[in-house]
Amino acid sequence: MKIIVAIKQVPDRDAPIRIDAAGKWIEESDLQYAMNEPDAYALEEALQLKEKHGGEVIVLSAGPESVGTTIREALAKGADRAIHIVCDDLASRDALGVARLLAEAAKQESPDLLLTGLQSEDLGLGQTGVIVAELLGLPHATLILHVEKTDTGIEVKRELEEGWFQTIQLPTPAVLTIQSGGAKLRYATLMGIKRAKMKEVKQLAAADLASATAPVVVLEQLALPRKQRSTQMLAGTPKETAAALVEKLRTEAHVL
Amino acid sequence: MLVSLPAFAEPQRFSLAEKLLFTALTIASAWAFWLRFGVVLNKILKSKKDPGFHLFPIAKRVRDFVWEVLFQAKVIRERPLAGLAHAFVFWAFCAFALVTLNHAADAFGIPFLDPAGPVSRFYFYFAAVFAAACAIGILALFIRRFLIRPKWLGEKLSWESGFIALLIFVLMVTYLASFFVADTGTSVRLLWWVHTLALLIFLPIIPHTKHLHLLLSPFTVFLSRGSFSQIPPLNGDEDFGLIAGADLTQIVSLQAYSCVECGRCTEHCPAANTGKLLNPKEIILGVRAYLNDLGPACDQPLLGKYNSQQAVFQCTTCGACEFQCPVGIEHLPILVGLRRGAVNTGAWDDNYGAKLFLNLERGSNSLGLNPAERDKFIEKQQLPIFDGTQEYCLWLGCMGGYDPKGREIVADFARIMNYLGSSYGVLRKEKCTGDPVRRLGNDLLFQQLAEANLEVLAQNKVKKIVTICPHCVRTIQEDWKEYGVPPEIEHHSEFLARFADKLPSQPAEGYGLQNEGYGLQNEGYGLQNEGDGLQNEGYGLQNEGYGLQNEGYGLQNEGYGLQNEGDGLQNEGYGLQNEGYGLQNEGYGLQNEGYGLQPVHPILPNSPGALAPDVSPSRVPQVPLLGPGNEKIVFHDPCYLGRYRNVYEEPRTVAALAGELVEAPRNRERSFCCGAGGGLTFLGEETGERVSHHRAAELVATGAQTIATACPFCNSMFRDALASTGEPAPHLLDIAQLVARSIPPANSQTR
Repeated sequence: MKIIVAIKQVPDRDAPIRIDAAGKWIEESDLQYAMNEPDAYALEEALQLKEKHGGEVIVLSAGPESVGTTIREALAKGADRAIHIVCDDLASRDALGVARLLAEAAKQESPDLLLTGLQSEDLGLGQTGVIVAELLGLPHATLILHVEKTDTGIEVKRELEEGWFQTIQLPTPAVLTIQSGGAKLRYATLMGIKRAKMKEVKQLAAADLASATAPVVVLEQLALPRKQRSTQMLAGTPKETAAALVEKLRTEAHVL
Repeated sequence: MLVSLPAFAEPQRFSLAEKLLFTALTIASAWAFWLRFGVVLNKILKSKKDPGFHLFPIAKRVRDFVWEVLFQAKVIRERPLAGLAHAFVFWAFCAFALVTLNHAADAFGIPFLDPAGPVSRFYFYFAAVFAAACAIGILALFIRRFLIRPKWLGEKLSWESGFIALLIFVLMVTYLASFFVADTGTSVRLLWWVHTLALLIFLPIIPHTKHLHLLLSPFTVFLSRGSFSQIPPLNGDEDFGLIAGADLTQIVSLQAYSCVECGRCTEHCPAANTGKLLNPKEIILGVRAYLNDLGPACDQPLLGKYNSQQAVFQCTTCGACEFQCPVGIEHLPILVGLRRGAVNTGAWDDNYGAKLFLNLERGSNSLGLNPAERDKFIEKQQLPIFDGTQEYCLWLGCMGGYDPKGREIVADFARIMNYLGSSYGVLRKEKCTGDPVRRLGNDLLFQQLAEANLEVLAQNKVKKIVTICPHCVRTIQEDWKEYGVPPEIEHHSEFLARFADKLPSQPAEGYGLQNEGYGLQNEGYGLQNEGDGLQNEGYGLQNEGYGLQNEGYGLQNEGYGLQNEGDGLQNEGYGLQNEGYGLQNEGYGLQNEGYGLQPVHPILPNSPGALAPDVSPSRVPQVPLLGPGNEKIVFHDPCYLGRYRNVYEEPRTVAALAGELVEAPRNRERSFCCGAGGGLTFLGEETGERVSHHRAAELVATGAQTIATACPFCNSMFRDALASTGEPAPHLLDIAQLVARSIPPANSQTR
């Protein structure tokens, strides 16, 4: 099976977030970066499929030079080769723009499967994988925990709410977005890193793949949620206070 | 007088037939010897060269050789009686060198030691003394091995050992008997031939058995890696550790062939002592069996048929094995090497291990916690930030920065540093030193952590580090050397010992036995509570002296009063004597030579029941009821401070400020591991008995009121072990906490 895994490098989950001066993005100067965790699970799923059925796992990632470390980590864990879409303005592209880049690169490879994490840990849009599927004209399934190969394609286990799961059968080629926690992640090894040095990382310029069109969705402002505490004591009979509570939840807290 | 002593007799003349026979037998013996020894030597020499091995500086090697080989120091010290017996056997062999040469020369008519000449005569008697000692020694060792049968020598009886013992005995007896026969006649000739045959049979047996150590162990001791638990660097891009025979180096092969199967390593191993698979002796013998069967150039895995991966990952790297070994085998680099082979290739599939590695791949600490937590702790404790101007960098480590108990230890140590007026600061960001991943064999992660940390330390211009954790000390000082130049670092016990004379050894005013509101001397409470009063299981009031001497209320309570299951009010002296008010006296209060008033749990004034099991004294309003000399404290030597760093006195100096020291049966270099090392504290539940419970029981059995630790991991392991017994337990405190009890709380704000 030829499997492409689309991976995003995101700021470290535990990093303290500070909004930049313009209020449109975060301060990146002091940040550590890491592989997006759902993408790590996608990679693990791909590697397990390769170990079972043979084939090739290709890492695909868009971003600036620094993405190289995450790509190498993926190669160290067992991917065979990588494609790096060099793109310094990733933040200014919306999900559609990024998906276009990924789809163009993937098209050239004609994979049996394209796996990616269900959402990223920074923006959390949850759309990019789905849009790639649409651009490639391929069937897709989301929130996947496990993939099995069948004679007609693949059978996947999908996570629903409240402990329910769904089993779906798809033909290949297909696109899947992977949920965290389905498999046991493997750790990076010294042997893996040494071997990774020998593996091919093909660099493609973003402009060659898809010109940067104006984004359809624009990020207006980024702000930290305001934490505030205020307590209102409601008086009256239980019936009266219940009614008053519902009113406040509707008009003041805007949660109903 | 010398004339009347018996003279050594040698046959005067040998016939040609005898000479030919002797020559033929000697050649045959030498050939049989070389047949096997040559093979062994070849296997050792054909093994990979050791990267990082330096013959110089040679002084330590010579010193170790003289001390351990010639003086048999380790052999005797760690097992005195058996060791002494062996020492005599060894010294006899050395003393006999010339005797044996002369014996052979005699056959050809050219003996060079003349039994009549004074020098030679002296030499013969000199050798005779050793022969006698050797004969007695070997007999004693034979009895020990075959009749007494100590557990550590193994279940199977070693008949080859018995046969060799017999040969040695025969050699000594034939030599001694030669003093009592004439130098003509059949007796002397018979003795000569028996002696010769014994020698010629002995020689070829040597390389086939563990007696190979006769030839190899002097070299093994001399050619050690150079220091304790010295993990060699990996050599080149294809070296991932000890995976197959081809990875075994010359030192490892030499050491594997030197094993005498004495079992001293296993005797002190925490895993072997608690029912685990791991047996350090078997690890070494497994490597030897591999070399015997397959040789050093083989690519079959070392873990599998000859040693198990499971056993190798049960090692806490405590070092008791390596420390004990009388022939110079270095177990730790071999164990870590085997782990490296499994981890660096991803062959080790363990959920907890993977979790630890993934935590450190992404994050900064081994506990997998958000670094913001450490920032919050620093802020709450108002610890000064290191800015390059202070003298010390206080390294928190993972336990000091994130673990609740570790934080208490750091807070108390910081209080002491404030009290002493030390200049220190903590770094804004720390990553784990990498100790657990280093001991587990993950060189990729270790390199990343070491390099990242070294860079931060250099950027911050850190020159001196002090820390509460011996694992951090070891890793920073030794293991980081592979990737840079680490700053000077010391353990807080070494720091505190240096300032011991400035530290208070008595409770400050406002606490303890002379104050208002607390302790045993006060206006109001005293030993007054509505509950069980002095309730303990043990001795109750046991002292030799005045006992409860007071004028006043004395033991006033509404409840059970002096209730204990034990010896109750036991004293030889005045007993309960008072006239007047509470337990009020001039001086130190309850001062006596003995146990004093020793409740097992701290008594909270005013609270009914007044029993607070497991309450750490640092959370109770300071009630050190006892001054120095009353509270019995047992100090547990951490592996990474004791065996790894040779620091035994400094933490005792510090602990002695707070009470009277008692020693555990296994202490100092024989200290029994708490079970946390080698990354094991991150690896989930153990099989068999828990190492921490085993050691905690030993410490509790000393009868001490307090267990003192100097390592946050030991502290954590014992806290769990003591809590799980459900019995009333001694206090468990770090040495910094012991001292900080006597420091007024005003020092908890930074200056």
